[in-house]
Amino acid sequence: MQFTFSEEQAMAAQALRELLDDVCSGADLRALADGAAGHGTARWERLAAMGLPGALAPEAAGGMALTATDFVLLAEEAGRAALPEPLVAHAGVAVPMLAELAAAAARGNVAQALEQAAAGATIVIVADPCEPFSAGLDCARRVLAGAGPEQVGLFARDELSVSLQASLDPLQPLARVGVPAHRASLLPDQPALARALWQRARLRATAFAAAELLGLAARMVEIAVNYAGERRQFGRPIGSNQAVKHQLATVQVQLEFARPVVYAAAAMLADACTAPPESPVPALTEARIAQARLAAGAAADLAARTAIQVHGAIGYSWELDLQFYAKRAWALGVRHGERGALARRVQQLLLGGIIEPGPDRLFLN
Amino acid sequence: MKLGFTPAEEAFRRECAAWLEAQLSGPFRAIRGATGLVACVEQRLAWERVLGRARWSVIGWPERYGGRDASLAEQVIFAEEYARAGAPGRMGHLGVELAGPTILHFGNDAQRERFLPKIAAGEEFWCQGYSEPNAGSDLAAVRTRARLEQGPRGAEWVIDGQKTWTSLAQFAQWIFTICRTEAGSRGPAGLSYLLVPMQQSGVTLRPIRQITGEEEFNEVFFDGARTPAEYCVGRPGDGWKVAMGTLAFERGVSTLAQQMRFRNEFEQLVAAARANGAARDPLIRQRIAEAWIGLRIMRYSALRMLSGGREGALPPEALTYKIYWATWRRRLGELAMDVLGPAAEIARAAPYEFDDLPRMFLASRSDTIYAGTNQIQRNIIAERALGLPKEPRGDR
Ligand SMILES: Cc1cc2nc3c(=O)[nH]c(=O)nc-3n(C[C@H](O)[C@H](O)[C@H](O)COP(=O)(O)OP(=O)(O)OC[C@H]3O[C@@H](n4cnc5c(N)ncnc54)[C@H](O)[C@@H]3O)c2cc1C
Repeated sequence: MQFTFSEEQAMAAQALRELLDDVCSGADLRALADGAAGHGTARWERLAAMGLPGALAPEAAGGMALTATDFVLLAEEAGRAALPEPLVAHAGVAVPMLAELAAAAARGNVAQALEQAAAGATIVIVADPCEPFSAGLDCARRVLAGAGPEQVGLFARDELSVSLQASLDPLQPLARVGVPAHRASLLPDQPALARALWQRARLRATAFAAAELLGLAARMVEIAVNYAGERRQFGRPIGSNQAVKHQLATVQVQLEFARPVVYAAAAMLADACTAPPESPVPALTEARIAQARLAAGAAADLAARTAIQVHGAIGYSWELDLQFYAKRAWALGVRHGERGALARRVQQLLLGGIIEPGPDRLFLN
Repeated sequence: MKLGFTPAEEAFRRECAAWLEAQLSGPFRAIRGATGLVACVEQRLAWERVLGRARWSVIGWPERYGGRDASLAEQVIFAEEYARAGAPGRMGHLGVELAGPTILHFGNDAQRERFLPKIAAGEEFWCQGYSEPNAGSDLAAVRTRARLEQGPRGAEWVIDGQKTWTSLAQFAQWIFTICRTEAGSRGPAGLSYLLVPMQQSGVTLRPIRQITGEEEFNEVFFDGARTPAEYCVGRPGDGWKVAMGTLAFERGVSTLAQQMRFRNEFEQLVAAARANGAARDPLIRQRIAEAWIGLRIMRYSALRMLSGGREGALPPEALTYKIYWATWRRRLGELAMDVLGPAAEIARAAPYEFDDLPRMFLASRSDTIYAGTNQIQRNIIAERALGLPKEPRGDR
């Protein structure tokens, strides 16, 4: 048992933070939102130069063969910067799914697509057939999609009907993806495997969204703390009022208590992913991921609400960069299973006989 | 204590409802249900004039100024029917609910004659120039200066300074504003409450975009702006008292209309939850029930508050009202997002225009900020209602 990250893990996160401070500042986000700049191909190339698109790809495919535990801190950094490009969706969700497809000896040129994706040369997005909308399709060249959850196909984006729509998050439009019915599945005789792969993709998306939410919450607290120290009313910094301090401290408590839950979920996800894909993900892992997503979502919601409040009217204006972080948090907050569905997962865990309740059992896992 | 309405009042209700229905299924069909403050502006300005001509704009005001001398019960009824009919949010509300009552209560006869009929008729619109970059919660820190000068048209106030967050200034002919008229004064002393025309070379605007994507509030710059000496409400130097009076009106009868808007939003939310199945989720059901309880609480509180107060001076329980509704609606916004799920994310139109419920979520982020933040409301409750010691200031 060891509940800490290694030095390499922490250093990789630090390196990503420094890169994003440099190429993904609030001003960069604003330029993109206002249409003054397009998507940062330069930014993506810097991420690719760090090997991040292939973080979770096997070494044989040119990847770094990292695990979910390694990736969780990187996803947190992507969240912290409200990175507009889909690094988490690509490297955290699509690339592992491609790798699983390649290993299942699926037909088609999956192995080659995996190599290109791992190198960051093409961006791949998972369009989960059970989710109404997908983000990242404005950047993607390839899409993993299926006419239903028992089919998996790898498509060029142009082969699909993709209708991009403006979203609550001005930096990430959403798309409804239509899949041509006549295209054969890559796993024609293995509907159960297809289901299992979608489920894994969904769990990764959920767990890494939780990590992004942590990063977003931390960033919003940071912005609000800075402002509370600078803005003066009644002859003193507003942050010297307990009413302001305590609000921010309350967010900090939620955030720090959400963190270990997310990290533990990532570790369980990493474990579950060592099993062959067709073996079911343990219900406990699934419940833990749901729980992590709920905890991180609650922290990010509170952080957004509090940071806006602490800023007063300017927090409600488009002119403050805070809105980009808040809106990403709200947008992620309604994706990957609504709160009710996630809470039901946890309820099933506790009340549905998945773990036996009782003082001797409750803390075993 | 009597909660129901008399037969005469019920007849009045039918009269309101019939008039509203005729208008909103006829000439004003297009703006039925319009919410966002800056949508369909032209038609909504026309709607204000039609309300005014039919004397439905300010029914609680004296007849002489365009009202109907309506009783509180009648005002309650009208607010209910207005919302039930899906009549649009009032573009004129800053004049109707703030400037008008302030002038009625604190102004002199000449000011009443000059300004009230135009407000009632929907011919002149107003905005509120209180906040400045460095005077938000600490409103008494305003620095905008005004001095009296002899001009070609007689004595005039000449105004220099900047206001900010000024809602709907782009549609206003007038701004009511507090300015420092005693050089060297600090805090609440030495302020005056001036009524200033907007269309003049000394006034310029810069719209500010909000997180909703709309440009509803503005910066207002005064560079030698002028207004006649007699357009000062209350005595020069007494502006703080008048300004506080306006804030009391902000929590007055207008809360009834606001509650009915809330009720419409609540009903929209319930309809959405029924339509998409969210209403089967026990967590959502519970929160819907809580929201409804909150609505009832607000309704009874408002009726009690309005029955008990003298004009321009609300009873002490009114101090608790703002924080309650603001927090309630912020929560309603969050519930709306959870009810809608991923559908809440999709804009109705590019670049950034949303359906009513997600828009309400975004807009409700400001409820706990304007008209006194939640923190300031708690200070007011603690100090004024409970009599706790005042917070220390940093500078005095
Ligand atoms: C949508 C909208 C419309 C508006 N329309 C108008 C308008 O038409 N006209 C107009 O004049 N103004 C308008 N305002 C401005 C509004 O009145 C101010 O936003 C409000 O008074 C708060 O001031 P501020 O924004 O400068 O925040 P600040 O006063 O800077 O406050 C920042 C934070 O510090 C907290 N704080 C400050 N002092 C204390 C204290 N002593 N104790 C505890 N906490 C404290 C506040 O609660 C807040 O959370 C509008 C604002 C909004 C959001």
